[in-house]
Amino acid sequence: MKTRLNFRALLLASTLSLAALSAEAETLRVAMGYDPVSLDPIATSDNGSIWTQLLIYDTLVRPDATGTKLEPGLAESWTVSDDGLTIRFKLRDAKFSDGTPVTAEDVQFSIARAASEESGWGRFYRPITRFEIPNPREIVMHLTEPFTPAFNNLALFAAAILPKAALEAKGAAFFDAPVGSGPFVLKKWTRGASLELVKNPYYWQAGKPAVDEAVLEVVTEPSARVIKLEAGEVDVALDPPLNQLAALKAEPGITTGSVTPYRADFVQLNTRYAPLGNEKVRQALNYAIDKTALIKGVLYGEGTPAASAMPVMAYADPALTPYPYDPAKAKALLAEAGYPEGFEAEMLVDSGIATQRNTAIALQAMLAQVGVKVKIQMLESGTQWETTKAGGYQMSLSYTTSDTIDPDQIIGFVAVNPERANAYHTEWKNERLNALYTQERKTVNGPERGAMFREMIQILHDGAPFLFLYHPATVWAEKDYVKGFSVLPTSNFRLEDVTIAK
Amino acid sequence: MFQVILKRLVMLIPVLIGITLLGFLLLQVMPGDPASRAMGTRASPEELAAMRKLWGLDQPLWLQYLYFLRDCLTGSFGVSIFHKMPVIGLVAERLPFTLAIVAYSTLIALAVALPFAILAALRRGTVVDGAIRHVFVALIAMPPFWLCYVLILWLALGLGWFPTGGVGQGVGENLSRLFLPSLVVGLSTAALIQQSLRAALIDTLKADYVDTARAKGLSGAQVFLRHVLPNSLISTISIIGVRVSWIIGGTVVVEKIFSVPGLGSLLIDAIVSRDLPVIRGLTVFFAIMVVIVNLVTDICYALADPRVRLE
Repeated sequence: MKTRLNFRALLLASTLSLAALSAEAETLRVAMGYDPVSLDPIATSDNGSIWTQLLIYDTLVRPDATGTKLEPGLAESWTVSDDGLTIRFKLRDAKFSDGTPVTAEDVQFSIARAASEESGWGRFYRPITRFEIPNPREIVMHLTEPFTPAFNNLALFAAAILPKAALEAKGAAFFDAPVGSGPFVLKKWTRGASLELVKNPYYWQAGKPAVDEAVLEVVTEPSARVIKLEAGEVDVALDPPLNQLAALKAEPGITTGSVTPYRADFVQLNTRYAPLGNEKVRQALNYAIDKTALIKGVLYGEGTPAASAMPVMAYADPALTPYPYDPAKAKALLAEAGYPEGFEAEMLVDSGIATQRNTAIALQAMLAQVGVKVKIQMLESGTQWETTKAGGYQMSLSYTTSDTIDPDQIIGFVAVNPERANAYHTEWKNERLNALYTQERKTVNGPERGAMFREMIQILHDGAPFLFLYHPATVWAEKDYVKGFSVLPTSNFRLEDVTIAK
Repeated sequence: MFQVILKRLVMLIPVLIGITLLGFLLLQVMPGDPASRAMGTRASPEELAAMRKLWGLDQPLWLQYLYFLRDCLTGSFGVSIFHKMPVIGLVAERLPFTLAIVAYSTLIALAVALPFAILAALRRGTVVDGAIRHVFVALIAMPPFWLCYVLILWLALGLGWFPTGGVGQGVGENLSRLFLPSLVVGLSTAALIQQSLRAALIDTLKADYVDTARAKGLSGAQVFLRHVLPNSLISTISIIGVRVSWIIGGTVVVEKIFSVPGLGSLLIDAIVSRDLPVIRGLTVFFAIMVVIVNLVTDICYALADPRVRLE
């Protein structure tokens, strides 16, 4: 009798502890270097905000994991008319985290809001001039003139679908406790410290997310992120310092991953500055840069050499190769251009980023080899940005990233003049490229549009208004029990498929 | 005394008007425009103009200044362009952590500095005094960022006694999370206090009234606690006052390394993003704090030394 009782007690205890185990919420903790400022998608442009928003909200379509095409989001299917003027979406049966259904009303409201005056992204959505709602699960968007990037822009975080009723009722306070249809819901936000997310019980992908909670810890110091990972206080550390990568890889229990996002690093050359106005000089400088050495020395191997100022994305030409390292040719071109003894130039560098500082010093040494004496001027990032924008510079070490998977946004920015930035403030101008840009925006996606992009990038490569450097990889380190985590080519990360296998 | 405090508070007004004007004008000189920082690479001139209009940056300067004064008087200190909330709200979220570090580090500083200052003063000129001096001078010379990482590697990663940083919920958790950052700040305060307190103690020990007290037949400990120590604390109070003013906004490095959301990092982030209302609002807030800390320091002088009168 006594033994039986004991046995039953034991059985009871073990089932209880099993229940306790399974009841314990499984939490994924991620250390990121950015502090989100707001969860209003039309008012933000910083990484921390964007990444968090993409865990809470859904878009109609979204880039797939490879970043090469769009996959269904809240829209389960769509058709684009041959003239590109009508886009018809069929919405899936999805609910917001407060249990209300996602309707075509909400879609129209959200896109119109993204196109409004208070939106920082208005220009992306203003080409959509009219909406039509045949039924709550269907919406038709009309454009007055063809604008091919419009469809892609709907995959951007700024076009996140928000619940009309809730947002109108709450006003700006909505974004303190936002409601979305994405995999996670905001539970607690300690500004400057952490965001605690719990899974959305109504999420449309059944059984996802796999973890119950996700905590985004704001740790702005790269070394501190690694320390937290080593101490077991976080499961994933984004962007560890590159010089600690080798040591991290060797550490038991920790693995690292890397992906090449849509980013290109380069030096802007102000073509208004006398020697740099000469195409031969700009090409010569490109020949003087040993990109392989830069990637090995500064990026610890985490990057690929760049052939232009465009990230490698849709319509990229695999046959376009970077300028080879050829100091002899660089010297010959400089002599041909009338600068056999080289010249002097000043380069602006963001003082706050270690990689930029190291690259600048390496560039200075490489350019000195061909007689170009570079003076480095370290500036705080805001001042550097304003100085280049005002045109009062000679060289400036910078980079560009793409928010969408369509190359239209970036080419308009780095190569077209006047357009938005006068070819990223290099004041370089090519009429053929400008004409192709206007045409590309009216041409439906396909080989014809692709050929236009390849020609534009070739012109940019030859004209060389930049010193083309590299495409740096985005790196992360994680505990080996984390399965399925990855950073996407668009730099954000999804957590609904991540599992913890302890 | 109450009247004196009131008078000092009234004198605050011209100081603060000066601060608001200076803070406002300095930002006008600083290159950089929040609209172009926010819109980055995708902005057209029209869009930038629209953003500036939305944020009221297209208004004449004098009007912007008056709005700023109004915001200071109503206590909101302006509304952050990017966080979309009143500056006072941002401050309220972060002030507890900053004040915790102020209090915690000061306690640590006193706990470390007092015994060693007393020991050094009583054993002045001996090997003990020399050894203590070397350790504390080394503490002054140590760069905080280096000390942060050494302490993290040793006490957090190595021995596992403390978390590596961050903030948590509740007093208990934060006492353990904020210990290391407070220790870094506290140790450099301790080094300053130890040096000056030792010198003050040695001076006081030579004073005539100390001899008188001894002659009166008081024990060594009584003489020390009742006459020597209180009379030597004036310099310590000044150092703590100056340090507290500094810690409120100046511990950015420590905050960043330990991921503590304090006021210093709020200011730095605001400067980088050119969140003008936050920079302006914090400038005024810091100025008020400095004036208050100075006032409290003066009151402490009067309490410690009856010869000092608040006037």
